[in-house]
Amino acid sequence: MKTQSKLYFYITLSTILLALIAVWSLGTGVYDFGGKSAFEVLGKVITGDSTVSLSDKYVVWDVRAARIVMAILIGSMLSVSGTSLQGLFRNPLATGDLIGLTAGATLMAAITIVLGGYFKDYLPEAVQFSLVGISAFIGSLLAMLLVYRISTTGGKTNVVMMLLSGVAISAIGFSIVGFLIYISKDDQLRDLTFWNMGSLAGATWTKNAILTTVLLFSFSILLPKGKALNAMMLGERDAQHLGINVERLKKQIVIIVSLMVGTCVAFSGTIGFVGLIVPYILRLIFKSNYGFIMPLSSVFGSILLLTADTLSRSIVEPSELPIGILTAMMGAPIFIAILMKFKKSI
Amino acid sequence: MKKFIVAASMLIAVYSCKKEDTKSTENNTEAKAEAPKTNHKIVTLNGGITEIVAALGHEKEIVATDVTSTYPEGLKTSAENLGHVRSITIEPIMAVSPTLILASDKDINPDLMGKIKSSGIKTETFKQEYSVEGTKKLIADVAKAIGNNDYQKLNDKIDSDLAQVQTLTKKPKVLFIYARGNMMMVSGRNTPMAALIGIAGGENAVNDFEDFKPLTPEAVVKANPDILFLFSSGLESSGGIEGVLKAPGVAQTNAGKNKKVIAMDGGLISGFGPRLGEAAVSLNKLLIENAK
Repeated sequence: MKTQSKLYFYITLSTILLALIAVWSLGTGVYDFGGKSAFEVLGKVITGDSTVSLSDKYVVWDVRAARIVMAILIGSMLSVSGTSLQGLFRNPLATGDLIGLTAGATLMAAITIVLGGYFKDYLPEAVQFSLVGISAFIGSLLAMLLVYRISTTGGKTNVVMMLLSGVAISAIGFSIVGFLIYISKDDQLRDLTFWNMGSLAGATWTKNAILTTVLLFSFSILLPKGKALNAMMLGERDAQHLGINVERLKKQIVIIVSLMVGTCVAFSGTIGFVGLIVPYILRLIFKSNYGFIMPLSSVFGSILLLTADTLSRSIVEPSELPIGILTAMMGAPIFIAILMKFKKSI
Repeated sequence: MKKFIVAASMLIAVYSCKKEDTKSTENNTEAKAEAPKTNHKIVTLNGGITEIVAALGHEKEIVATDVTSTYPEGLKTSAENLGHVRSITIEPIMAVSPTLILASDKDINPDLMGKIKSSGIKTETFKQEYSVEGTKKLIADVAKAIGNNDYQKLNDKIDSDLAQVQTLTKKPKVLFIYARGNMMMVSGRNTPMAALIGIAGGENAVNDFEDFKPLTPEAVVKANPDILFLFSSGLESSGGIEGVLKAPGVAQTNAGKNKKVIAMDGGLISGFGPRLGEAAVSLNKLLIENAK
């Protein structure tokens, strides 16, 4: 019970930190509310005050608030998907990237960006705008199915086979992306690069609603898996003896992770490092207790991504840096610092 | 000291004359724009469109532009530069509180377009066609969008400029090279450069593909251009004429053997706005000089 109350303490603490960062983020931006602060405006928007000008309302609600919520949702999902995969594979490098999900999503998105011009006009307008997102999602699911088919024989999944086929699928995916980059036009090339480094600039409340649904569904299944993942650390056979249905666990985690990664990539492009760094840091601090680091990673992922996004839109005003550059820049030094600190205990 | 005072007073004199000039043109446009009252805060996201808006006398109303809007010079100080059109986001646009956004339909990415639509700001997108007729139509369309129908003079100017373009007895084959340092791309069909080369009396050297492709030595030798054509900035970045002549394959072409390399301002070549005629005449002159 003691560890349980410790967990609540850390969760509360980190949630407060996240809230503070959200407040900072809401006040950050190039738009000027004419003397008022962003919070006053937001308060008025929430209470339905009609004195707020349409553009003030639009910026505070549909631009900034929507973007903050999206950063929180995506950061959380990427981080939890990394934690689950690392627990399942007992490998600190396992992320959506490694088992080929990101490559699949990237490939389909690149195909749409470069070749979309040929079939876009035949689709309804509602689909046209989100076409890249939808194909990224399909790409991630297809990659997962393929990896699963290759690595499963007689209902049993071989984890090493899974990682290796992920590597192979990534190689195929990125080589085709390379070809697409070669034949793409100037503006498509810019879209590709931009998309490859991720951005939350396209945040809307509709997207947030979809992300929230996926998040609630996924977390309700993954977060209670802490104990099972702890058992997995002993090895598959021992976990089996402890009464864990290992095959079912593998299936659930892989399917739900590809659902989460596909949805995130679809809305924000590829944002690296979150799924790798957050669980790694948490494991170093709290040891490998998945009952502990799984829920914590859901909050810390949000903290990392929201901080990165706020910086990305304030460093080079009025333009912005692709967020993937920042997550890598922030993630890597933290990673090294912690490695140095825990050098002896590793 | 005396010299300094003389110089300073001359400078002041020149400066105040300049000011007078701009004032008088302002008065003119104000007088002309009386009928349809226009007082927009415009964001233009395309170099050609920016030039049209400015040429119609609405330069003061432009509050922000994209990176390709390099002309008129005054915009550098009077309007915010939002960067490259593919990476612009909505908040910096909202920050200048525009009442009208003008863009070419090819430029804006779908995410931004969705955001602009839901922000409720009036937005007009235009089809830009790289031809004389297309430019005139664009001028008419933009004029209509900003409520100033006094655009005929711009189209007439294009016509009168184009009348100065001389026919070349033998059309030179011109290869446009888009160079940024060591990376070099050449322009095929349906590029502003190919169109301008045609209007100025030359022949685009490569026509077997659309848009831009990386320059390969074999392709250059096969195209065998008489003249190489670059942006001034591109020529500089690739080490001047000598640098370009050293690019693989170039030395084997007619242009390389005779050292025929020409360069013009990028905005002027690719804008396809009110200065189209001017651009064509300048290029035409350069082609004639280099045909000898």
